[in-house]
Amino acid sequence: MKGSLKTTGAPSLEELHNSPAYPTNEQLRKGPIAIIECIEEIPCNPCEAACSRGAITVGENITSLPKIDFEKCIACGACIAACPGLAIYIKDYTYSDTMALLSFPYEYYPLPQAGDTVQAVDRHGKYICDGKVIRVQNPKSNDHTAVITIEYPNEYFEEVVSIKRIVIS
Amino acid sequence: MIETELAIVGAGPAGLSAAIEARRAGAEVLLIDENSRPGGQLFKQIHKFFGSRSHKAGTRGMNIGTELLRESKELGIQTWLNGEVCGIEEGHKLWVVRDRSRSEIVKAKKIILSTGATENAVPFPGWELPGVMGAGAAQTMINVNRVLPGKKVIMLGSGNVGVIVAYQLLQAGAEVVAILEAAPKLGGYGVHTAKVSRAGVPFYVSHTIKQAFGTDHVEAVEIVKLDDSFKKVPGTERTLEVDTVCLATGLTPLTELAWLAGCKFCYVPVLGGHLPIHDDKMHSTQPDIFIAGDISGIEEASTAMEEGKLAGINAACELGYIAPEEAEVRSREIWDSLNSLRSGYFGQKRRDSKVSILQKSEELISYFKAMII
Amino acid sequence: MCDEIICRCEEIYRSEIEAAIEDGAVTVNEIKRFTRAGMGLCQGRTCRRLVERILSEKTGIPLSEIQPSTYRQPVRPVRSDLIQEYNNKDQKED
Ligand SMILES: Cc1cc2nc3c(=O)[nH]c(=O)nc-3n(C[C@H](O)[C@H](O)[C@H](O)COP(=O)(O)OP(=O)(O)OC[C@H]3O[C@@H](n4cnc5c(N)ncnc54)[C@H](O)[C@@H]3O)c2cc1C
Ligand code: SF4
Ligand code: SF4
Repeated sequence: MKGSLKTTGAPSLEELHNSPAYPTNEQLRKGPIAIIECIEEIPCNPCEAACSRGAITVGENITSLPKIDFEKCIACGACIAACPGLAIYIKDYTYSDTMALLSFPYEYYPLPQAGDTVQAVDRHGKYICDGKVIRVQNPKSNDHTAVITIEYPNEYFEEVVSIKRIVIS
Repeated sequence: MIETELAIVGAGPAGLSAAIEARRAGAEVLLIDENSRPGGQLFKQIHKFFGSRSHKAGTRGMNIGTELLRESKELGIQTWLNGEVCGIEEGHKLWVVRDRSRSEIVKAKKIILSTGATENAVPFPGWELPGVMGAGAAQTMINVNRVLPGKKVIMLGSGNVGVIVAYQLLQAGAEVVAILEAAPKLGGYGVHTAKVSRAGVPFYVSHTIKQAFGTDHVEAVEIVKLDDSFKKVPGTERTLEVDTVCLATGLTPLTELAWLAGCKFCYVPVLGGHLPIHDDKMHSTQPDIFIAGDISGIEEASTAMEEGKLAGINAACELGYIAPEEAEVRSREIWDSLNSLRSGYFGQKRRDSKVSILQKSEELISYFKAMII
Repeated sequence: MCDEIICRCEEIYRSEIEAAIEDGAVTVNEIKRFTRAGMGLCQGRTCRRLVERILSEKTGIPLSEIQPSTYRQPVRPVRSDLIQEYNNKDQKED
């Protein structure tokens, strides 16, 4: 496998675009959808059961790559905390004229608070732009995987996937 | 002296699963572990596990452990904690040191060895300095003892253990300065490396540690690039300031008791080196000794639990608690599940290796049969 | 290259192990007897595989053919009176 995942640790956009679960540019910008960055055959399938709409399929063979049916996905977010690989997030390009929305899994303390300004980062943890925390969801059923929702400038739509860890000094 | 029908050494996921199956069938079970708490590696695994839903995937390892413990308590399985099995003689007699203060002899009709694995070391000048430790040791410190081993950590090895422990060190509040990998490609699952990468941890493939510096503790390491034949490339050295070095360079099955018992071994690098030959019932080459889990090849908790069940069911069968036909049907179901766990890019190699071990065991059995005739 | 410790318990350096091989040691057991590598508190748990590797590199014997050093009970460090206690109990059985 050539490319970035096995040398830098994170998948490149090229690798993602070539994987079965990643949306096309058109699907990506249509409205809120779940995006799965799981491009290696590993024995894993909790994402499939997490989606009550049946939008995610792994299939009989549990090492198959997950696929997602964007017609069925309503961006409810139930799959985000269910994925042990923290590989699923939701993005919405249509949130406002200039701002996009991102809901992603986060397992560090302290958690950010709604209203906080945070540093949005790319797949290598590089600072890209500031974002604002809209919501922090951490119900018991998530089993300590909080789901953070931020808004950020939509010119960085595809790059941003997470935020910098908040370090108490 | 204590007598029991089935003694199980090691109360990790394999040993616990074996104990639960055998006890449920009606066998008298004694489960022995050297730690003050059963669960083996599971209680250190605070992350959500992979696997299929039937393997409790998506559940944190420690919660899988709690679940197994609850079951074993409900079944009233007799458990000796702080019990070190120091020896084994005549194929069925265990020497157990309890609470580090008294010796006890346990005579068992059947024995299951589920002792897990030990961490591999990599030597370099300075690796004896305090601050250099196995990744598993660092994981025990943060997740069991709640002590941060250091503030600035470098991880050697990018397999799942290295990447997961790096993630947990970040969660515990440390900074992970880098993850090094000697091979040109990262070893761990991509989803694991991606979450650490997202947290800003740089990966260096084709790199290793040349030496560690420090007076009474690690203060820095010198890293170096490796060429295609794993030779250090002069002039590519770089110094990184760290106070902790974690070695995540593989595990070796902990087989000392199996050697003592006279089990026959084979050498399978993919599964961690020398390991006892076993058949499809997890029977070793010794008549009354079964093995299960990492001792029979380094894999995962999910496979360890399945192998434990196999050993438990078949030991109970030989003790007369399960009819052979039933044991066979149930074993076959477990094999289906093991085969599905051992598939795909990462699993297939392990599956092929396991097949080669089973073949070796068949060859041995037919060899011995031929000798008798 | 500067020298490095291989057996941390007994503080045996790589150079000492290599010297033992040059002096004719061809098994891990012999290296253990020549140098004490693997005879410390951890009973070779840490250095056993490192010694096997050095032996393989120096002699050309493939790793798969190298016999690990012999295991003896007790496989854990125990107080010597507990060994006595075990032996007494064991004899009573026979
Ligand atoms: C960092 C890390 C992350 C992991 N992540 C995952 C994961 O996401 N999913 C997954 O499926 N697996 C994972 N694993 C692997 C999994 O933990 C192991 O494969 C599994 O624990 C093996 O089970 P076991 O029962 O064979 O051995 P262990 O869990 O190691 O248990 C063996 C027990 O035997 C005891 N013992 C050994 N010798 C003696 C003796 N002589 N006397 C008394 N007691 C003895 C030991 O102290 C121990 O308690 C991970 C492992 C590590 C290190
Ligand atoms: S966001 Fe909801 S509907 Fe969409 S895939 Fe995830 S669980 Fe299914
Ligand atoms: S749960 Fe996550 S890691 Fe597992 S297959 Fe689905 S997307 Fe991949």
